[in-house]
Amino acid sequence: MSQILILLRKSILSFWRAKAAVCITFLVPVVLIYLFGHVFGLYRKDSGPAGIPIAVVNLSPEPAAQKLIDALKAEKAFAVITTRDIGKGATRPLTEADVRAGLHDNSYRYALILPMDMLPVDDLGVRMKFLFNPRNEIESQMVNGLLQKTVFSNVPQLLGMSLQRYSRSFLGKERFEHFNRVIADTVADTFGGDREEIFQRNIAGDFGIADLIHAKADPVPPVPASLRRLYQPEQMQANREEPSAVNNHSAAPSTSAPLLNHESKNENQKSGDLFSRIVKIDTEQVAGKELKNPMAARLVGGYAIMFLLFAVSGSAATLFEEKNSGVFQRLLSSPVRPAHILWARFLFGVILGLAQITALFCAGWVFFGLDIFHHVGGLLAVSLSAAAACSAFGILIAAIAPSAAAANGIATFVVISMSAVGGAWFPVTFMPDYIQRVSKLTLVYWSVEGFADVLWAGMSLLEVLPKVGILTGIAAGVMLVAIWRFNRGKLFD
Amino acid sequence: MLALRNVTKSYGSITALSGVSLNIGPGEFFGLLGPNGAGKSTLMSLVSGLRTPDSGSIELAGQPVTGSSFSVRRNLGLVPQTIALFPELTAEENLRIFGGLQGLRGNLLKAALDDAFSAAQLDDRRHSLVKTFSGGMQRRLNLVAALLHRPKLLLCDEPTVGVDPQSRNAIFEHLQHLNRTGVTIIYSTHYMEEAERLCSRIGIIDHGSILALGTLDDLLTRLPFEDEITFPVTALTAPLAVELASAGEIIAVDGTHRFRPRPGYPLSVFFALTESLGLPPRLFVNQRPTLEALFLHLTGRKLRDV
Ligand SMILES: Nc1ncnc2c1ncn2[C@@H]1O[C@H](COP(=O)(O)OP(=O)(O)OP(=O)(O)O)[C@@H](O)[C@H]1O
Ligand SMILES: [Mg+2]
Repeated sequence: MSQILILLRKSILSFWRAKAAVCITFLVPVVLIYLFGHVFGLYRKDSGPAGIPIAVVNLSPEPAAQKLIDALKAEKAFAVITTRDIGKGATRPLTEADVRAGLHDNSYRYALILPMDMLPVDDLGVRMKFLFNPRNEIESQMVNGLLQKTVFSNVPQLLGMSLQRYSRSFLGKERFEHFNRVIADTVADTFGGDREEIFQRNIAGDFGIADLIHAKADPVPPVPASLRRLYQPEQMQANREEPSAVNNHSAAPSTSAPLLNHESKNENQKSGDLFSRIVKIDTEQVAGKELKNPMAARLVGGYAIMFLLFAVSGSAATLFEEKNSGVFQRLLSSPVRPAHILWARFLFGVILGLAQITALFCAGWVFFGLDIFHHVGGLLAVSLSAAAACSAFGILIAAIAPSAAAANGIATFVVISMSAVGGAWFPVTFMPDYIQRVSKLTLVYWSVEGFADVLWAGMSLLEVLPKVGILTGIAAGVMLVAIWRFNRGKLFD
Repeated sequence: MLALRNVTKSYGSITALSGVSLNIGPGEFFGLLGPNGAGKSTLMSLVSGLRTPDSGSIELAGQPVTGSSFSVRRNLGLVPQTIALFPELTAEENLRIFGGLQGLRGNLLKAALDDAFSAAQLDDRRHSLVKTFSGGMQRRLNLVAALLHRPKLLLCDEPTVGVDPQSRNAIFEHLQHLNRTGVTIIYSTHYMEEAERLCSRIGIIDHGSILALGTLDDLLTRLPFEDEITFPVTALTAPLAVELASAGEIIAVDGTHRFRPRPGYPLSVFFALTESLGLPPRLFVNQRPTLEALFLHLTGRKLRDV
């Protein structure tokens, strides 16, 4: 043991002396995280795009159409254009021909047309036309998503109107009114209220049932952690497609509230929104906690693991250098065994890894307000086991590589592919099924998921223990293989 | 002290040592003289337990040298052929690590460091980073790093490569001092001068075999001549060549000729002959043959142009 400690001390000392290495290990990842933060827009207070011009042509006489436009205007991602200048300060509403020309000459890239028959009389549903001329795919996907969200938030009422209109044409005016009278009477008898008002709202498609339900519903109990995890992939996906997702999602109830005639200030309890339950478009944040910067949790965790792998994969090269310099001869001709050298290097990797992860998470805290202090126990456990797994991986590379150069080559290849497949760069839920299965074989996957568990889902030390266990198992397994392989490898040849 | 019996070691298809047998007694200063690739370092690595022989046995003080016997290793110090130091650490940090690994602590370690630095004449550079040392300074530190635990057997694998004559003398004197205090030394080199100057017994090794073994005098008596007269190629006139053909052999080495009279041939006859041929005596230098000549005699090659 004392041999291992002496060698460990030596590694730390030499590492510390090599200021360039220290710089590369700590400063570069922190700077990169900072830059990536900008790339992913993590610094924006409103965390979302703003003022994307969208032209809206309203040909529909429905009041609901105007409400939809108002909702779009309320969405800060959009700058809604409905009129066209005709000189002398006068304007006129846009026509479809206008927007097609506007799209063509790039005055704007998106246009929404609400046709005359937005709510067709002879059919059930809502009709509208979305035209776009995408400058880039990500943007159009995002706009699409935002648009859908805004429209869907208004669908309950539109759908109600469509439904009533459809039934009127189907049943005939007489029977339709009779039917709605009966309903209104029944509602009034049962719940109280003004018969005439209920009738009028019903035939307008504004059932108003939401009010009632909202008044009676129990608050939804907090979602248990296990369920929260189930929802998480959807959330990540939403995040990826539209970086603004979280803020916009929480804004959704307030934009839709006036249309639904109810106030839903409590964002985490959308119990009152009957339609949103029926049509299942609830995009509310389900992680059950207020995360200042959910994207940062994944970003920092993922990149931390990748940088860590790169840092410890240097172990292999260092070991070969020491072998070639003859230091191994000196060490092994004194009372030192190969295993001492390997374990010392492994421990050094763990310590280096922990230090690097700490630096990165502190950077995440400073840059993105990542909440690392609530989760110290779990975070430490995941970091420690992840560092151990990474360090063992570095030792294994030294064990199987024939030379330092080969070790570096193998390490770079494996680190990059493992980071990609394991979800260090983007969530594995984006990936095809078979890749997702492969992911689970990588230590990156378990580390990134472990960090997400702690930082995103707010899991406790106890809850992340299974992943910590898997990482520790990987570390132990890899070390065993490494030590076994060394007898055949070139390092102590 | 050290006994090798029929030791063989190959790296794949390359046979580095074949059937080496060697006995080295306590207190010996044994020289292993051979050209590049002769197998010197391989022999060192086998004796220090870094590698295991393919066949044969190696015993140190009656105990087999196996890769795992620490008790044997504590008696042994290896000075690797390469500079086996941590360049980013200071000289003292290096020695502390190697001393620590040998189990030295506290005052014992401190005393060992003091001795080592004064022996290496690096007292004033203790706290400098090793990478800032000159090649010769690194060599000296490389040597004393193997002495901290006062080994009974010191294996020096070409410890003076790239060292200036002054430092080289300092190293020699220190090694001779150690040897006088009872340390057995095995010293590998391809400089015959070093082997001649330092070693009480010398083994000439080439292509993995010991070609000759003995004291310097022993070895030189194996030569079929006792004197060697070197002269410029131009001095070998036709009449001289005719006269000398029966008196011994003439070989060409390095742009000179060497005349090796057969035993019993009187040198006075040689000098009388050259004088009568009108060749000035200063062209002819008589020398005692060296190990170089022996190596040439044994292998047909010069020691240094292998
Ligand atoms: N690790 C190795 N792998 C393969 N072959 C080796 C290895 N080490 C040495 N050899 C070969 O074994 C032979 C003896 O090498 P060795 O290093 O023992 O020679 P040496 O006498 O120390 O030479 P030098 O004076 O150049 O140091 C050489 O042919 C060399 O190529
Ligand atoms: Mg050698």
